[in-house]
Amino acid sequence: MLLAALLLVPAAAGLACLPLRSHRLMAALVVATFGTTLALGVGLLHAVLARGVVTEFHEFLSADALSAWMVLLISIVSLATSLYAGRYFERDLAAGSVTPGRVREFYVLTPLFAASMFLVVLVNSVGVMWFAVETTALTSVLLVALYNRQTSLEAAWKYIILGSLGLALALFGSVFLYAAAVGPHATGRLPSFNWSHLMTIADQLDPRLVRLAFVLALVGYGTKAGLAPMHTWLPDAHSEAPSPTSAMLSGVSLKVALYALLRFHVLSTACLGTAFSRDLLLGFGLFSMFLAAPFILVQRNLKRMLAYSSLEHVGLICTGIGLNTPVTIFGALLHMGYHALTKPVLFFAAGNIHQTYHTLDFRRIGPGLGKTLPVTALLFGLAAVAAAGLPPFGLFYSELTVISGGIAAHRTGISILMLVALIASFCGILQQLTRILLGAPATNRPLASRPGEGVPAMALLLGSLLIFSLWLPASVQKLLHQAAGIIGGGA
Amino acid sequence: MNPAISTDIAAQLIALLAVLMLVVQLLLVVQRMLLTSIRLFAVQSMFLAGIAAVVAFFHGAMHVYIVAGLTFIGKVMFLPWLLDRQVRRMRIGQEIEPLVNFPTSMLTCGGLTLLGYIVARPFTSLERLGNNTLAVAITLVLTGIFLMFNRRKAITQVLALLTVENGVMLAAVALTTYGMPLVVELGIFFDVLVAVMVLAILVYRIRESFDSMDVGKLTQLKG
Repeated sequence: MLLAALLLVPAAAGLACLPLRSHRLMAALVVATFGTTLALGVGLLHAVLARGVVTEFHEFLSADALSAWMVLLISIVSLATSLYAGRYFERDLAAGSVTPGRVREFYVLTPLFAASMFLVVLVNSVGVMWFAVETTALTSVLLVALYNRQTSLEAAWKYIILGSLGLALALFGSVFLYAAAVGPHATGRLPSFNWSHLMTIADQLDPRLVRLAFVLALVGYGTKAGLAPMHTWLPDAHSEAPSPTSAMLSGVSLKVALYALLRFHVLSTACLGTAFSRDLLLGFGLFSMFLAAPFILVQRNLKRMLAYSSLEHVGLICTGIGLNTPVTIFGALLHMGYHALTKPVLFFAAGNIHQTYHTLDFRRIGPGLGKTLPVTALLFGLAAVAAAGLPPFGLFYSELTVISGGIAAHRTGISILMLVALIASFCGILQQLTRILLGAPATNRPLASRPGEGVPAMALLLGSLLIFSLWLPASVQKLLHQAAGIIGGGA
Repeated sequence: MNPAISTDIAAQLIALLAVLMLVVQLLLVVQRMLLTSIRLFAVQSMFLAGIAAVVAFFHGAMHVYIVAGLTFIGKVMFLPWLLDRQVRRMRIGQEIEPLVNFPTSMLTCGGLTLLGYIVARPFTSLERLGNNTLAVAITLVLTGIFLMFNRRKAITQVLALLTVENGVMLAAVALTTYGMPLVVELGIFFDVLVAVMVLAILVYRIRESFDSMDVGKLTQLKG
């Protein structure tokens, strides 16, 4: 019942928040929920290590190493988000920037958003997976529009229209895949539309249809994963959403869409050989990295800069998988994890800054953040150093793994390109942040009262980032190797 | 009835209904009035439901009747009613202002139809039902995307998205006879309904806050 519980607990918690009146109670309930899913996720990790694949309800739900890894990421980011959200919305309510009704909307929709992400990674059917990805978009779009400002409505509109269009194409891809799977069955009836079944008949599928299906899935799920050039909704949605939602969008939602794409990649590898989908992923990944770097360098809005940095990291993960060696795939998966621990901290800090200065413009925040908000500035600085890829934080190690794996696989050119893009964004992030972190604050500036800064959530993430950077538990390592084996299985 | 003849009749009916869907799509491209556009979408969905009913009848597939019924209730009755009410309640201006003028849009859609047929050509041997249904489906998706970028009003973008979805569902019938498994069809149906309701909420809020439904005004976020 492990998998069913992972879906039901957050879904039930979301619905349970509907009749509640006290925000404090809702926050506590949501924190408890994600604490539970994290524990279930750890349980799933051990079950998967012991048995390989965990299935429930006649294989309707199925979890392998890759799903278990995603479950852990979704749980920890959601847990940190709900820890942070309580204080954040208390201050917003006090400042009058949201209504109590909207705060309840947040506590109802966030667990449902998480539940739909769990469904994406746990369900076995291709069609139901599409349904789940669409549900992640539908549950998060009202969160993006939570502040009801003109700009946030614009961002939400772009997000839902582009996302739905992309997902319509992904559905088209799923239809072609279904047609390919029906092909070998003379009766026209398929025993099941499950990934596990499709993998067993992969060599009988019509290669032309599978190719078409993969391209449509790449464009469709790629839109939701924020791959360039379909990324245009991403900086808008991530900058206009409330910070806790930005953290979830950037920390896991992008990777969940990428997971859906990876399932297509695995099947297309088994059917067509690896070259076709691998090269496409590599191309889109590198393009995303190169497109993100200049935008980071010239960006004036803090959260938009963070969004472009997410684009960069998704590009790196995609490139690592596209290089398609066990080492680079391992590095890419590890990078997913470290990025999920880092990026929310940055968005939480951005939330504190926004609530204090009422702006996200670098020039108007000005120098001296270290004096005004010392704790936030310290944690922000540490997380930024981590996101830029400096040791001792894990992102340094995972980036190095991907790049050196590329060199070892005689793809030196690609490794050098990645290095160039990474250095550019590294300079961008550090240059932008030194402008606001250091120096003396401008005086005579009306500031909101010094707030509770949501330190527990940030400390939880940064602490676990530091621990897992220095010491990766053997079980997690084994899980990642298994997951990398699933993706690179056909190589 | 002789099974061979009945399959033949089914194939012709489906081809006919599919082409009618395409005709309605082209009418949508040159339609000036918002309320008429909503009705045209309802008519197009009715043809899609008709195709599903034909499949269910001639191939004796019970679960496809459910799909036909859901399409009828959801896309022919409920969604047009919802959008219609929204348009009336918010007193949105009736005129649709396209970005590209009608003759040019018509020509573009002619080109897209040609493209649809070229793309579908290698796959015609895989069609299990009707002639050219796959080509029509691809054309619906392409012209739907064009429609989406050619319209300024938020509601017309929603309509364009729905026609793209109609095209995808037509492809599912054309390529696989029985459509997707019932649980998937139910999921898609549910998602489309919720998506339109969410979009309607956003349209309402945009209208409140911008005093307009022109998404051309949503241009504050850049870079």
